[in-house]
Amino acid sequence: MVRIGHGIGLLAWAAAQAVALAEVDYVRDIKPVLRERCVACHGALKQQAGLRIDTAAQLAAGGKNGPVAVAGQPEQSRLLARLASKDPEERMPLDAAPLLPEQIAAIREWIASGMIAPSDEQGEDDPRNHWAFQQIRRPALPDAATRETAIDAFLELKQAKLGLHVQPEAERGILMRRLYLDLTGLPPTVEQLQDARPYAEIVEELLRSPQHGERWARHWMDIWRYTDWYGLGAQLRNSQKHLWHWRDWIIESLVADKGYDRMIQEMLAGDELVPGDAGVVRATGYLARNYYLFNRTTWLDDTIEHTGKAFLGLTLNCAKCHDHKYDPIAMVDYYNFRAIFEPHQVRLDPVPGVIDFEKDGIPRVFDNHPNEPTHLHVRGDPAHPDKSVAIKPAVPSLFASFAPPIVPVSLPMSEWAPGSRDHVQRDHLAAARAKIQTALRELDASTSRWPPASAKPVKLLEAQVASARAELANLEAVIAADRAALTAPDAALVKTAARRGKEMRVAQTKLEVLTQELANDTKKLAAARKALAAAEKDLARNDSAYTPLQGTKKALETPEHNEKSYPAIYPSTSTGRRLMLARWITVRENPLTARVAVNHVWTRHFGEPLVETVFDFGRQAPRPEHQDLLDWLAAEFMDSGWSFRHLHRLIVNSAAYRRTSTNAGADPATLAADPTNRLHWRAFPRRMESQVIRDSLLSLAGALDPAVGGPPLPIDRESRRRGIYFVHSRDEEERLLSMFDNADILQCYRRSESVVPQHALAMANSALSLDMAEKIARRIQGTDRETFVGATFAQILGRAPNREERAACQAYCEELSALESVRSAPDSEVRIRARLVHALLNHNDFITIR
Amino acid sequence: MNPETAASLTRRRRFLHQTGLGFGGLALQAMLNRDGFGAVHPGGKPVFAPKAKSVIWLFMRGGVSHLESFDPKPALNVYAGKSISETPHASVLAPEKRKKVRVVVVNDANGQQRHKIYPLQIGYRKHGQSGIEVSDWFPQIGSCVDEIAVIRSMWTTDDNHGAQVQFHSGRHMLDPRVPTIGAWVNYGLGTLNENLPQFINIGPRFFDTRDGHYLGPAYDAVKLKIDPKNPLDYAAPERDFPAAEQRLGFGLMNRLNQINRALYPGDTALEARIKSYELAFRMQTAVPGVIDFSQETASTKTLYGFDQPETRSFAEQLLAARRFVEQGVRFIQIMHGDGAAGAWDQHSKLKENHAKLAMQVDRPIAGLLKDLKQRGLLEETMVVFGTEFGRTPGSQGADGRDHHPYGFSVWMAGGGIKGGITHGATDELGFHAVEHPHYVTDIHATLLHQLGLHAHHLEVPGHKRLEQDFGSVIHEILA
Repeated sequence: MVRIGHGIGLLAWAAAQAVALAEVDYVRDIKPVLRERCVACHGALKQQAGLRIDTAAQLAAGGKNGPVAVAGQPEQSRLLARLASKDPEERMPLDAAPLLPEQIAAIREWIASGMIAPSDEQGEDDPRNHWAFQQIRRPALPDAATRETAIDAFLELKQAKLGLHVQPEAERGILMRRLYLDLTGLPPTVEQLQDARPYAEIVEELLRSPQHGERWARHWMDIWRYTDWYGLGAQLRNSQKHLWHWRDWIIESLVADKGYDRMIQEMLAGDELVPGDAGVVRATGYLARNYYLFNRTTWLDDTIEHTGKAFLGLTLNCAKCHDHKYDPIAMVDYYNFRAIFEPHQVRLDPVPGVIDFEKDGIPRVFDNHPNEPTHLHVRGDPAHPDKSVAIKPAVPSLFASFAPPIVPVSLPMSEWAPGSRDHVQRDHLAAARAKIQTALRELDASTSRWPPASAKPVKLLEAQVASARAELANLEAVIAADRAALTAPDAALVKTAARRGKEMRVAQTKLEVLTQELANDTKKLAAARKALAAAEKDLARNDSAYTPLQGTKKALETPEHNEKSYPAIYPSTSTGRRLMLARWITVRENPLTARVAVNHVWTRHFGEPLVETVFDFGRQAPRPEHQDLLDWLAAEFMDSGWSFRHLHRLIVNSAAYRRTSTNAGADPATLAADPTNRLHWRAFPRRMESQVIRDSLLSLAGALDPAVGGPPLPIDRESRRRGIYFVHSRDEEERLLSMFDNADILQCYRRSESVVPQHALAMANSALSLDMAEKIARRIQGTDRETFVGATFAQILGRAPNREERAACQAYCEELSALESVRSAPDSEVRIRARLVHALLNHNDFITIR
Repeated sequence: MNPETAASLTRRRRFLHQTGLGFGGLALQAMLNRDGFGAVHPGGKPVFAPKAKSVIWLFMRGGVSHLESFDPKPALNVYAGKSISETPHASVLAPEKRKKVRVVVVNDANGQQRHKIYPLQIGYRKHGQSGIEVSDWFPQIGSCVDEIAVIRSMWTTDDNHGAQVQFHSGRHMLDPRVPTIGAWVNYGLGTLNENLPQFINIGPRFFDTRDGHYLGPAYDAVKLKIDPKNPLDYAAPERDFPAAEQRLGFGLMNRLNQINRALYPGDTALEARIKSYELAFRMQTAVPGVIDFSQETASTKTLYGFDQPETRSFAEQLLAARRFVEQGVRFIQIMHGDGAAGAWDQHSKLKENHAKLAMQVDRPIAGLLKDLKQRGLLEETMVVFGTEFGRTPGSQGADGRDHHPYGFSVWMAGGGIKGGITHGATDELGFHAVEHPHYVTDIHATLLHQLGLHAHHLEVPGHKRLEQDFGSVIHEILA
């Protein structure tokens, strides 16, 4: 009975299932789940237990432990057993959330129903064959090329295939405005709008302007994560002071059209490439930016992640805790990469004429600990380094075949003994002498006059002089001993320096005692007396240790350290690891670097990237539609000496770039065939970045201060300089800039172009737009309103108003002039015109790069 | 899906995400509906029936002592003055129990365990029908305890003030920055009122000034001040601009942009911008209107504590929060306690300063709960009371407690949360969360669940989230 009953039950169950089974579709229900949750370990990338399940056939074939599922036998399936296991050690996927019950049920049904799948199912390709991992070969220009530029030749071929009709070139004013904004970040003046020279000639001029350097420096500062220092109160925790030296290097490099290969080399290893050249070494501010006081691993993680994303489009960060889930990058590759950076630290180098590092200094990196070991962190946990294996510095093994060797670099003395630099010694001596002069003047003013000029007693003023003199004597002795130490060590000079140091300490503490006596602070006085006693006792001791002149200020490795206690002398050899990395990134065989850079530049001219995932060119990035174009540009870019100027020229001279951005008048068939414009039959409008909005307002008003470079501007000051120069950090951000999707200092590979009401409020209500509107109105010629309206449209939007627009403006002016507040204004016409300009600044096509 | 379609979808999605969501998703909504994009973006509507519409997120910057607020531990009085290792509970110090904490600053003066047990600095009494004990520093909140679910078993992993960020994002200070819970709510849910921002921050922010991070700046909280003249950045003209002139100006802007439509047909950014100007114009009056309390009765104001100088400031913020909730704002984040570390950080003088700070918030919070309740809003409004971490059972110096990430208390009320219950527990000393321990993202998951969202649905391409980022819903506290 039981047995029969059971049989009947089973039949009923099978019948019920048959209905449900019909609904399970492998391609729709099963494959996406396997791809998302399983294939990283059981696919082309990895075959754990010899098992691949990226196709149903492979799944059916099983792994080295035999089959995991047999059609019609879900109960015997090891696949299902592992998916549904309650034991976390057993359950697949390991170390991750289990599949949802309905997903497991679907797989069960699919197995029960016979594991039906399309017969032509393709497995994953070998990950090494991923398109972006192949070397860049210049594709031949399509035969059909009748257009003036290569870019157009590639696009035309595809447009022709779909029978698309392209839009005409944008009208001159709109095009000029687009060109000026893209290349310089500033709108054209009236004269520039009327410039009748050939387009290409204007392009050349703009590409050589300092404003072009500023415009594109800001783009690269987004990608390279520029931030001024920040911390807690006065404590520096992130980045470095005076990082603007690196920003200025970016601007200057772009204006000079330095090759991108060279730029990368200087940023990653300028100190190894041209040791001792401050103009080059400041480029390593790129690395100094990642400085983080509290945690070396966080610091290096940031360096690795963003070096990978910015230059290579590789998400190395995904291989920190486990092998990469999508790309053939092993966890050990991550730590090999870290080992490249392991020896480096950050310091401020002195600027001639300045010895106070609070005032100036050049943030840079150098190899401080060449023998610091790197260990793999088990599961990415820095508390569990695997000390059994020493990790070597290396590039990811997938691309190791073209890695150059690591060659250590010997450094000039000025690098490893920065206190030996002439200007350092000179500046310190000059400061010491100036201090004596100041003290003498104060003493003189007090003794030669009655009543004395100073409230300080003469005894104290004399001690001031004595202390300053002792400091100079010490400095001279130290410099003498330092010099000898670097060439022929001299025991007598060392002894003298030690003696002068002790004498200086006594003189300084004597002064301190007198100062505290005057201040009447018993606690501090007691401490000063104690210090004096110690200094005098030390003077009696006959040892010969002296403190060499510290020419630089090394950033704290941990908050427990003290800057003064760091040695004045650094290693005389740099490991050469970073230079190897930089050369590997910029070698022609590297398939990623040029593609990633070209994509960034393209995005900022066309508004749409060729590769949508701009920081990830790994297997998550499908082969782009315009790979031929990307590769041609990448090859051309490299062949031109990695010249951005050349790349810009190629792009902005193309017909594709110059097209109008409107759909109006478009061929309906074209619109229907390619509604999203992926074949560039028209241009894409874009929204201005925050800096461009502000700079444009100032520029149109003739209020922009064109000064280039220098220390960042404090935010609380009314500045008329370009937005790139404001302090920009986690804690400080200019308010108007912050409104318009300003760069996030943590990562900004592409700006957002949001459209939110805050923008409308800022444009309508900010003091800047209201003030500038008035200034612009006063600058625009036009005796009558009619002319004024025309000139205003031309100046602000780059085009003439149409009849409707003229009518709307006229009507507005009339309504406005009827208002009591306007009528009673002393200069009502000026007011009306300012309001009209203000309305145009709030026009969609002001904030838009048409 | 072929790559081209995928790319254009991504492109379109990118545009939609950036358009209008930060303030009001009207333009977005229209486009989503038109293009049938609802399935791609969770946006706009909950995936299952929501219990709550809005969240009032109260965050006490610094660490509120769980021991002297919502988690009474009489054992501390019993063992006062003894070292923890002298008590029968010495095992709480076992290193394996403490390894979840990740230290940012090694040997920092703060964030250490303190061994000498410090007795409770305030008494407790039972409140309401549930009889839940609340300390005498929070008598008014105590009077509302039957509306509240106290979670006494929270833990976090930062023993210093990076925990401020962590409580909002679920990530430790040493990890990459990710969107905060408010940003996710803003991302996941559409607007209920197009004239108002959907995610507002009032009061001194924590370390990070951004919320959206990889979602984009449009998901950052809008900073709001309780100042009807200037509640938001640029909410009013910064130069003399008579209203009548302004109105005409908006009219012209609108007219010109409308004309522009004919020149650029199908330009979605232009369409969105036209909407954004309409919204901005309405918002200019809507926002100051919400923080204009002239229509509120004296008894309501007294309920919140407008009549006392100590409570006035927080009372205004909470009354504004209620008014924003009434207007359909989704997420109001209110921060209490100034300074980088937050005011609730009594390394010394705990008794004096906790008493003072508690007085500033106790009546306003109770007033908010009562007011929401009497207006029938509590059912659809979730109130969260959170803080960075608890404070050590041992004393720091003579009269303080240090940071304590191993166990602390938060509470939730309204929006379908069960009232009058406690959930989870710390051990006898209040050291470790031992019963139903919850990481901070469990609060996020619970909150999202009540809003009708599934934490796992909130993910964007290229930014893999970890399991811990999602958290788990605390089902035990749901009504």
